[in-house]
Order: sequence, then C-alpha cells, then structure tokens
Amino acid sequence: MRRRDYIAGLGSLGVLATGGVVATQGAGPVQDRLQRWFGPDVEPLEVETADVRGSEPGTMQIPTLEGPMFLDFFGTWCPPCIEQMPALAAVHEQLGDEVTFVSITNEAVGASITEEELADWWVEHDGNWTVALDRNVELAERYGLSGYPLAVAIDEYGVVQWSETGVKTEAELIDGIEQAL
Amino acid sequence: MNRRAYLGGLAGTGIAGLAGCLGTIESQLSGEQPGSGDWGDGETVLDTPTEDRGSPSHPIYGHEMPSFSFPDPLTGETVSSSDLEGRTYLMTFFFTHCPDGACPALLLRLRRAQADAIEKGYDDDLALLAMTFDPERDTPEVLETYAGQQGVDLEAGNWHFLRPESYESGAQVLREDFGMILDRVEDEEDLAELEEEHANDDHDEDDGDDHDDGDGGGHHDHGEYTFVHYNLIFLVNEHGIVERSYPNALRTDTETIVEDVRAVTGG
Repeated sequence: MRRRDYIAGLGSLGVLATGGVVATQGAGPVQDRLQRWFGPDVEPLEVETADVRGSEPGTMQIPTLEGPMFLDFFGTWCPPCIEQMPALAAVHEQLGDEVTFVSITNEAVGASITEEELADWWVEHDGNWTVALDRNVELAERYGLSGYPLAVAIDEYGVVQWSETGVKTEAELIDGIEQAL
Repeated sequence: MNRRAYLGGLAGTGIAGLAGCLGTIESQLSGEQPGSGDWGDGETVLDTPTEDRGSPSHPIYGHEMPSFSFPDPLTGETVSSSDLEGRTYLMTFFFTHCPDGACPALLLRLRRAQADAIEKGYDDDLALLAMTFDPERDTPEVLETYAGQQGVDLEAGNWHFLRPESYESGAQVLREDFGMILDRVEDEEDLAELEEEHANDDHDEDDGDDHDDGDGGGHHDHGEYTFVHYNLIFLVNEHGIVERSYPNALRTDTETIVEDVRAVTGG
C-alpha cells in the first residue's frame, strides 16, 4: 500500500475513533500511530557518550539500526528517575545482551554537574550501561520527551514500538521492551 | 473572579474545544483548512492556524502581545516587551518545584529552539523567556541551577528567566494582561477540591489537542503550595504580534515549535 493511501485510511480511522476517545486523547494517538508505523525520521543521530561505569566515552548513533534499543530519558536532579534506577538495573541484568540500553540526559554535563559527579551518581544508583549526553535536545525532540523519566523501546529498524513517561516497574519495563524484540 | 466562576468558564471552553478537536484531526490529515478563531489582524509570517481556537482569554494568532517588563535575576537586566522589538521570542511560564512534571518539558521546547538557533546561526534573532510564577522559591541561585539541569545555554545571551517581584504582582499581570489562568493552591485539600470541581464541570478531563483552554494546564503537588496553570508557550514575532500560542504545549511536538520559530525568524 502506498503511504498516501495508508494515511487516508488512517484519517477515517482517526475520525471514527475520536467519537470514543476524543475525551482522553484527541489527535494524539493518530499521530502516535503514524509515527509508530512509519517510524520517526530513522536517520540516526550521533550523540556523545559519557565516561561512566559501563559506558564507553565517545559517540554513538541512535538508533543503531543493528538491533533493538531501550532509551531511558533521565536527569540526575529528577527524583522519579532515581526511584526507577533499581528496576532499570534489574532489567538491564536480564535483557542487556539482547537490547542496547542507553540512558540519556539533557543536563549541562561539564557545567551544572561535572563529569565526575555524573559518574559518581551513576555508580551510586547502580547504573552499568551507556549514558548519552543529548546536549542539543535532538533526541528529546525526536522521541517526544514530555516528562521524566521517559522509556522508549525501538526495534532494529529504528521504529519506536513503545514509549511511556513515568516511573515503571521491572515488569512494565520488560513488557514494553519486549514489544521491540 | 472567584474560583468557581472561573472553573465554570473553563468548562465552557472545554466543550467548545471538543468540536475543535475533531476539526483538528480532519484538517491535519486532509491538509489546509484554516481553523476558526478570533484571530487578530497583526502582521504575521505564519499562516492562520489550522486548529480551532474560539476566543480564549489569552492572545492568539495575529494579536498584539501585551506589554510587560520583568527583571532577569541572572543578568540583572529588566526585560521588557519593547526591548524585544526586532526579535522573535518564545515565552513560557513555569516554576522549578515541578521537576518531574510539565515544566521541564516546557523549558525543553525553548531549549531545543535555542540549540537550533545556535546551530543554524539565527540566535541573535531569537530570545527565549521563561517566567516563574514562584519568585519566593525560585531565587536567582535556584534558577541558575535549574538552567543547568535543563541544559540551558546561559552563555548564549538570548535566554532570560523572568522573575516578578512577588507572586501577586506577577499573577496580576498574567491574569489581567495575558488572560492566563493561574491559581496558587495552598494545600492538598484545596487541590483535591479543585480537581473534583473540575471533574464535575468537565468530564473531558484530558481533551487532547483541543487547542482551547479546557485543561491544557497541569497541577503540581510538591511542598507546601503549588500552582494550577496552563502549559502555554507563545511565539511572538519581531513586531510584537503573536504568531502562535500553543495552549497545550506539551502536546505540541518540539519539532513543530522549532519549525515555526525558523519560519518566523527566517532562520
């Protein structure tokens, strides 16, 4: 099916659906579905990675397009993000071989928080995987960050299969990530 | 206006917003139908918005931005609307005591526009204004720390926090001149009561992209008092005319806002 037809079909679906869901979501789900089906602009973005435990300093591409990924948008200043760290660590323990884990912060690392402070925070909260620095907020823009923490599961084609804001349990994280496997 | 009266008013716009919501979906997918609204006739760059807006109390597309003047506690300057003539600006309203809530996401949209402007070299043509409701707790030091947490580039010289002398003086300007809905809630009981009234008045608790004013805001429950407010962002052109007001800004993609900013600045 051509993309245009697809969108036209979605249009009527969206309008029908709004009869029922307009009260809760409005146009949001239509856009979400479009984005999930066609993916965001899947051209990878190059981002800086931090020198913290489990994270190789340098750069990486997100999405990698080599396998599924899990993105955790967090801030060291964000209490719910801290609350979620044990669950993330547990899930990383289980799925870290299958899924590329990346925690992403927009903080001014090197200014408001030093790299050493970030590294200490990371160890203190049991982080042991890649941390990316989204200095220009491009990843946050692409993945629609509207609250912390944000969990995003991306499949090997770079398509977002699951995305949710808020503190998640270990089971919720696994359910979400499995949608991208 | 007492609280009940303004919630009553809110419910009305919420219902009007429903029709707008359907219109929004159709127009987004079919293209170009301008939405209806009490648009102003100021000189604008962007086309008439495609969403229906009605006549909200705050300025919308084509209207002149109200004049204002507030101190920037980090630069020591006073930032006024007249100083901003000749520059495009984004303006939002927040307080730092909602770290896990909507406010970081609002600032993130401004921060992304700032980064895009720096990357593409139009940063001299763009100002970013983030006004706190809460000067009592949002001291200069707190704002500076918050800027770092949100990745704001204070060195770029185009970011201004605005901090009124007191909550009351800021709120008065916002209510009277900007037509913003803003309420300081002293304790959790008040907040619960407010939510209950709101729920009774308007079952459309979370009415998506209605782009009206039903419940574009959010509340935050941290510490001994909190605020009920809109998640509003204004995009204002070099002539002081509103190009866009994003009333439910967290449902507006950052990308859309950045594209609009580029179009207005010519960046």
